[in-house]
Amino acid sequence: MFRIALKGILGRKARLVLTSLAVILGTSFLSGTAVFSATLNRTFDNLFSDVFRNVDSYVRSTQVIEADFGAEERQRIPVELVDMVKQVPGVADVQADIQAFARIIGKDGQPLGSEGAGPPTFGGVGQEFKGALWTISEGRFAAGPTEVVLDESSAKAGKFALNDKVKVVAQTGSREFTLVGIASYGDVRSPGGATFALFDLATAQEFLAKPGFVDDILVSGDGTLSDEELAKAISAAIPSSYKTETLTGAQITKETQDQIGTALSFFSILLSTFSYIALGVGSFVIYNVFSISAAQRQRENALLRAIGASKKQVTRALMIESVVVGLFGSTIGLFAGIGLSKALSALLKAASIDLPSGGLVVPSSAIINTIVVGLIVTVASAWLPARRAGRVPPLAAMRETAIEVVALSRRRTLFGLLLIALGAATIIAVTSGASNKWLGLGILFVFSGTITLGPVIARPVALLLGKPAEKLRGVTGTMARQNSARNPKRTSRTAAPVLIGVALVTAVAALAASISTQIDGVFTQQFKGDYAISTNARGFGGLSPSLADDINTLPEVERATGIGLLTVKIDGKGQYLTTINPATVDGVFDIGLTSGTYADLTAETIFVSQKYAENNKAKLGDTLQVTLADAQVKTLTIAGIYEFDDIAGKYTVSRDLIKDSTVINFDLGVYIKLKSGVSDQSARTVLQAAVDKYGQGTLLSKREYIDKQSGSINQLLGLIYGLLFLSVIIAVVGIIITLLLSVFERQREIGLLRAVGMTKSQVRTTVRWESVITSLLGAVVGIVLGVGLGWVIVYALRDQGLSSFSVPVGPTVSILVMAFVIGVLAAVYPAWRATRVNLLAAITTA
Amino acid sequence: MNNPSAATATNVSKIYGHGDSEVRALDNVSVQFETGKFTAIMGPSGSGKSTLMHCMAGLDEMTQGSVTIADIDIASLKDKDLTKLRRDKIGFVFQSFNLVPTLTADENIRLPLLLGNNKGNEEWIQKVINTVHLQDRLTHRPSELSGGQQQRVAVARALASEPAIIFADEPTGNLDSTTGNEILSFMRKAVDELGQTIVMVTHDPVSASYADRIVFLKDGKIAGELLNPTPELVLDYMKNLGH
Ligand SMILES: Nc1ncnc2c1ncn2[C@@H]1O[C@H](COP(=O)(O)OP(=O)(O)O)[C@@H](O)[C@H]1O
Ligand SMILES: [Mg+2]
Repeated sequence: MFRIALKGILGRKARLVLTSLAVILGTSFLSGTAVFSATLNRTFDNLFSDVFRNVDSYVRSTQVIEADFGAEERQRIPVELVDMVKQVPGVADVQADIQAFARIIGKDGQPLGSEGAGPPTFGGVGQEFKGALWTISEGRFAAGPTEVVLDESSAKAGKFALNDKVKVVAQTGSREFTLVGIASYGDVRSPGGATFALFDLATAQEFLAKPGFVDDILVSGDGTLSDEELAKAISAAIPSSYKTETLTGAQITKETQDQIGTALSFFSILLSTFSYIALGVGSFVIYNVFSISAAQRQRENALLRAIGASKKQVTRALMIESVVVGLFGSTIGLFAGIGLSKALSALLKAASIDLPSGGLVVPSSAIINTIVVGLIVTVASAWLPARRAGRVPPLAAMRETAIEVVALSRRRTLFGLLLIALGAATIIAVTSGASNKWLGLGILFVFSGTITLGPVIARPVALLLGKPAEKLRGVTGTMARQNSARNPKRTSRTAAPVLIGVALVTAVAALAASISTQIDGVFTQQFKGDYAISTNARGFGGLSPSLADDINTLPEVERATGIGLLTVKIDGKGQYLTTINPATVDGVFDIGLTSGTYADLTAETIFVSQKYAENNKAKLGDTLQVTLADAQVKTLTIAGIYEFDDIAGKYTVSRDLIKDSTVINFDLGVYIKLKSGVSDQSARTVLQAAVDKYGQGTLLSKREYIDKQSGSINQLLGLIYGLLFLSVIIAVVGIIITLLLSVFERQREIGLLRAVGMTKSQVRTTVRWESVITSLLGAVVGIVLGVGLGWVIVYALRDQGLSSFSVPVGPTVSILVMAFVIGVLAAVYPAWRATRVNLLAAITTA
Repeated sequence: MNNPSAATATNVSKIYGHGDSEVRALDNVSVQFETGKFTAIMGPSGSGKSTLMHCMAGLDEMTQGSVTIADIDIASLKDKDLTKLRRDKIGFVFQSFNLVPTLTADENIRLPLLLGNNKGNEEWIQKVINTVHLQDRLTHRPSELSGGQQQRVAVARALASEPAIIFADEPTGNLDSTTGNEILSFMRKAVDELGQTIVMVTHDPVSASYADRIVFLKDGKIAGELLNPTPELVLDYMKNLGH
């Protein structure tokens, strides 16, 4: 039997190629993302072991606030520690370092890199030091308050040469420096696309941070002590009142690598999730191809049965074929994936994210995973068709045609309906109080039910969708329509991958539309001004607080106010506080105060949201203990309660709170109300001038600002669409394969049509419309499911503040148009094949 | 009445394969089929009957010679024009698998017209449908029709566009004799009453006797002719040919 199976495979290379194609695609995404993630990880590991190669000890504060999303804010340490550490026996050299926000302004006045969206922009210390992170490649390190050194990439991007003037924006404002040197980081021009402006220690403290403070101290030993002994010695030399810790070079390297690893693992998980979705979609294609090819070989199998092969043997032959296809496809998929990950790296490079060079990393786990998963998926997908093939009655050998028998059982309809009903019931149960975690199960039921019902609904829906084709294209349209409906099982299996892809895209779009609408509503309600200055810098840098003050002094402006964010510790947990300027906020930005007045908000008081007050039974006059990032503890009295917490969150404080601390704060937005009678034109001119002075932030009208905020979700959307694109590719390949097999199966029919006068272009039209109808079938049902799924997700997020569901009309239309285009594109090759059908072979019966 | 030629083959040769494996399926064949006549082509299996029909109907390329259909030299036509010629000027009836399974009987009958975006002559089409007795089967699909009914639909399709000539390759080969005779009578009627031109390939003397004239083929060459045949005459003639 094994030999028969093998012959079956080799005898039909085309079929082998088509079946393997689905396996190859599915597994190549799997291996591609695994290899890419591993390579990225190794790359950063290498980078940081390089960077700290000559650092023997590392001194930093123990005071740290960990907030949501892995954000971390570590307190700075006094600069006098630098000299203290230098005196420790065994220390050869030290360097104080600062990592702070600094933005390099290009010669055209535009900041380098895209604001906020791209990698971070840093300012730091660059100086001669044995363990220096930076090495000068041109010129020298900065000395004095007017000099700066740039990383190589930034110098190149900004076309800066030595002695050029460079404008840099930092927390304290913007300033012009002379470029005295160009530096590289480890062996890359700049790490991960970030930009760097480097100063001498004094300038860095005063310009980037606060005078007298640095972030950490790098130590290089003189070789008399081991790293551990050195760290211990330094640790002992620093009084415990400074609250510092001393790490060895190995420890800080490991810690940094782990941090990057965690950050990257989010990315890896995202990539692999979507590659598994793609593989799941691919399994439908594999299943479909095996079904069709088993059906087309019905006569062959019946013959085997007639001459004495048992059911089991016929089934086994097909299973052996699937093992061969699975191994073959996954192996090619593995290599294709490695190529794919190379393409991804090239793509990143093209997007000017310069990764340190270093070969691809192909972990053995990726190899094993790809082959095993590919094999399992292939064999599992072939299981049902193989069993069906075994059940072919020997008599079928005598029958003329080998067209798939289509019996739509009542059982299938009932089972499908039952699944959908179960799903609906589960979802309804959740909306009437059951736990959210049941939603996933409900969705799964509805999806499985729909897929089960596929063959039942495929025929009527395809006939309906084909109506316009018939109107437009006459008899070729009629044939396309009938062809897409003639084998509902096959059509529904072909449309299923499209359905799944479209449903996911639609659900994401619905979620995004709902979030956009929500954000739009919130800002419309709370932002009472005419203009806003926005920055994309989330959590790192932002607008200097003096920008709002400057704008307030303009004669055209009635009032301008800045709003920022502060990370603190409350009850030992990291929390975000919204900072406002109580003197200017009223009438420009409304947080919906229900008790208290803005005048009540001082450095000793705090406002809390109504929800917080209710949940924590807090009332006016209660106190809260807030630990600032510099470890100062403040006791704040609740002086007001507000209603609108979508933007302000749980806590709002005055920006005066941090006046006497080392904590730095930025505004994330400045909101402006014009004096009445000031024209938009003149307002824009003066406001833009104020913004330009800082080289930071974007001036937007109220409408533009709100659109930008509500559109911010689209960035995330773009990423998800990109990843779902993998599934779309597989769906398209699925359509192509099915069409090819159908064309092969209908050779005689096509030959007959050609004989009685169908032109080649009419043959193509027929195939094309069949493809379009199939694709639209998947898209239409997918959209219906996707909107439902989106609604369910929005409902599940109601506690996260999403209150209303929006149907994503625009995306839905685009999806339909895309489904149409996909149908047309997928048909190109099969349609061409159809015109190549040998006319005579088709009409002369063998 | 003077009968011009609906189709003419002049010195047609058809060679399959090369060198040693070369097969001369048609060897310098010249033949004319008169308008308004029912002609049968007979000959032993492998004598080139189907090949002649395919070459004359523009379904296959000949190696040498020329063919005209309704005064059009088909050798000069590109694929697209040749297809249109088959659609508009030629009717076909094959031995089996004549109909498109997804279309109704009515759509199958009108298929060449529909493909040409041509309404056709409705009066004529109704007449054809009546002649082959298909009035009450029009909405059925091929799978719902018997073999004989399917061949009647095929004959009706061949007639529907009022072609210059109809080629039928063993149209009754898959039918029992009663049903076969029924089809042959329809074809006879189409020639006598509707003025059509039919060329039919067959190896059955009884079928051939429905024709006005029989052309005999042997080893790819014309071996003789017989006018106004009866089954007995045909058998006699075939014996004389050494068959
Ligand atoms: N496609 C082909 N390739 C090679 N030889 C062919 C092909 N078609 C027909 N022949 C040969 O040409 C000769 C005539 O065939 P055909 O016209 O089908 O005969 P008939 O229809 O009279 O039985 C036969 O010897 C046949 O084997
Ligand atoms: Mg023949």
